[in-house]
Amino acid sequence: MSRSVVVIASAFVVLVGALVLLARTDSPRPRSFDGGTNGSGGSPDETSTIVLFCAASNRAVMESIRGEYESEFDRHVQIQYGASQTLLSSIEVSESGDLYLPADDSYLALANDKSLVAETIPIATMNAVVAVTRGNPKSIQSLDDLLRDEVRLVQASPDVTAIGKVTREALGKTNDWRRLDAATTAYRTTVTDVANDLLAGAADAGIVYDAVLHTYPELEAVRLPELASINSKIAIGVIASTKQSHAALHFARYVASRDRGQLHYAKHGFETTLGDVWSDVPELSVFAGSMLRPAIDETIASFEQRESVRVSRVYNGCGILVAQMKAGQIPDAYFACDTEFMNQVPDLFPEPINVSQNELVILVQKGNPHQPASLRDLGKPGLRVGIGHEKQCAMGWITQNTFREGGVQTEVMANVTVQTPTGDMLVNQLLTGSLDAAVVYLSNAAGAGDQLDAIQIRGLQCSVAIQPFAISPTSPHAQTASRLFAAITASESQENFLAEGFRWELR
Amino acid sequence: MKPIRRRSDKPFFLVMGGISASFVVLIVLLLAADVLFTSSQDFADALGKPEIRAAFWLTMLTCTVAAIMSVFVATPLGYLLARFEFPGRRIIDVLVDIPIVLPPLVLGLSLLILFHLPIGPTQWKLETWLRDDVGFPVTYRWPAIVLAQFSVACAFAVRTMRVTFDQINPRAEDVARTLGCTRGQAFMLVALPQAWRGIVAAGTIAWARALGEFGPILVFAGATRMRTEVLSTTVFLELSVGELDAAVAVSLIMVLMAIVVLILLRSLRLGLST
Repeated sequence: MSRSVVVIASAFVVLVGALVLLARTDSPRPRSFDGGTNGSGGSPDETSTIVLFCAASNRAVMESIRGEYESEFDRHVQIQYGASQTLLSSIEVSESGDLYLPADDSYLALANDKSLVAETIPIATMNAVVAVTRGNPKSIQSLDDLLRDEVRLVQASPDVTAIGKVTREALGKTNDWRRLDAATTAYRTTVTDVANDLLAGAADAGIVYDAVLHTYPELEAVRLPELASINSKIAIGVIASTKQSHAALHFARYVASRDRGQLHYAKHGFETTLGDVWSDVPELSVFAGSMLRPAIDETIASFEQRESVRVSRVYNGCGILVAQMKAGQIPDAYFACDTEFMNQVPDLFPEPINVSQNELVILVQKGNPHQPASLRDLGKPGLRVGIGHEKQCAMGWITQNTFREGGVQTEVMANVTVQTPTGDMLVNQLLTGSLDAAVVYLSNAAGAGDQLDAIQIRGLQCSVAIQPFAISPTSPHAQTASRLFAAITASESQENFLAEGFRWELR
Repeated sequence: MKPIRRRSDKPFFLVMGGISASFVVLIVLLLAADVLFTSSQDFADALGKPEIRAAFWLTMLTCTVAAIMSVFVATPLGYLLARFEFPGRRIIDVLVDIPIVLPPLVLGLSLLILFHLPIGPTQWKLETWLRDDVGFPVTYRWPAIVLAQFSVACAFAVRTMRVTFDQINPRAEDVARTLGCTRGQAFMLVALPQAWRGIVAAGTIAWARALGEFGPILVFAGATRMRTEVLSTTVFLELSVGELDAAVAVSLIMVLMAIVVLILLRSLRLGLST
């Protein structure tokens, strides 16, 4: 046997041995995920590991969160660290992974533009400061100090980093950016490179995020008024192609919750946003006007399934809902039939957003046997008319306004045989023949188009109701409610609204 | 006859030595700066971390696999390029150099794209097939590290083997064939024993190249602690959070690893040459 064969065989044995050892290093822990206790949306994929693409700058805080999460839930989180843009490219090409946590939310905006991220949950805020070595040997106290010849200023590139970009945008409004640009010794590709330059003694000052300095005890922050308004946000995004949304959102909620992940972020020098209170399976309560049920119920059910949360819906006349809220039942979110009924609880819901419109119509039986063609015709003797209750629902309140504006209130009210808290009841009574006409929302008629006809009320702007949505600022699950709002205003949900006779108001 | 006055050789050695020393001194200074920047405590802390110990062993194993695979591939390829004219030879000669000139991140991205490119009407993907049908996923696992290291290391090994076989006179192999050897026997019994020094050199270069590989690994294999984190990615991760001490300590560990392996391979080369 020649020496060549012996050496080749030996190399082959070493190769096989090394491969066997490598295979033994790669034994992912099989773990089961049982976060979806409502049983919806379970799939075999939920037994696998959660994969998080995480900016390397968040490694320290994420490792501590991961450790706590894994010990609390006995579930595994696999974290790929790297530069935010590199990670984004990997997600785009490989279409893999469950979560993405970049160095700042500008990368999430990029990911969102490419439809790579489905949900985004805010975690913390970082502010721009000037970093100097501890003791501030160059006595930097103002922006002008950064322009001194003996100060070596290093910045993060405004073309490839978020802090560089927001600094240029903020200071570009004045002449400050041009002066700072001229005084900058070098631009670096990451904010940590700037801090490392200071640490290595290659620079005297650099503009960085305050949170970055937490891991640099040798450096200190100098806060300048010109930089006070410059900040960026940290947020975690759920990758759109994830096959385990329950598990991904479970960990994302954990990271962003005020009494779990955000505690770690605060400890690492980040300024946290107000996160949700942690709950394994959060329960949201939503009050919504009855007329909204057909437009939103399917969306809410899908939301429950994707997020593995429970949403308690209370559909009723808005007057009744307002009375419940004034009696102390405060929901996490409130979707009113009209702004009038949102305006009655301004303290509970100070920031409503108008979402949709719905118009009043006169609903009659197919073929219009009694032939009312306008509001005035509802006053014809002998006609049995049903309307919403003025105090119990927005529809009734708007109906009365419309009657008044139309100058027919006295005549029509004489024919009103029933006032109900919801439009559905009036539709049912029309279908059973106990009413000849009803004044309801167009959306109430959407499900009975083959048996009923709708007659438009013309020339009265007050016959149009606007539906606002608001989240309670005291809600312990405000972020989850925000994601529900995002789901309700998504394009698929808009189609539901249009199909149910609503018009879209939100711009 | 006037005796020729022999001039001193000192200026020659001074100039040559001075130029040569500039590079050697630079390397020594770099290492000295690293050593001065860190401390024995930093070393102890670095080696005490289970993540770094795992990265150390993963680096050793993947570099070894990549280097051996590189030599296995580079030896026949270098031999064919050196000995034979065949259609497409020039193109292949250029192609094998591409991983050397390609920016590292681009190589990693290319590997990632290759494994996730949808092909044909069924949108067939190599990674999906490997994962679902073969049961051997590559991306973001150790095979991705080996493949990323191999892609670059093999190019260097091929170049080395090509030069090695270029420098070996083919006459001995021709004589062996006239005495009845097949081409295979001539290669195994005549060419290969003469190429041992080159093979060991190719293995050395491939191993060293794999050790320093970073960009393609980060993109194709990720940097998951205890799973796909090799020492070069450890340095990146430590730098990312401002742990310069740890980054320098790990860098010096890599230098020590390289020195030990290079000495071992040089010893092997000397042993095979005798």
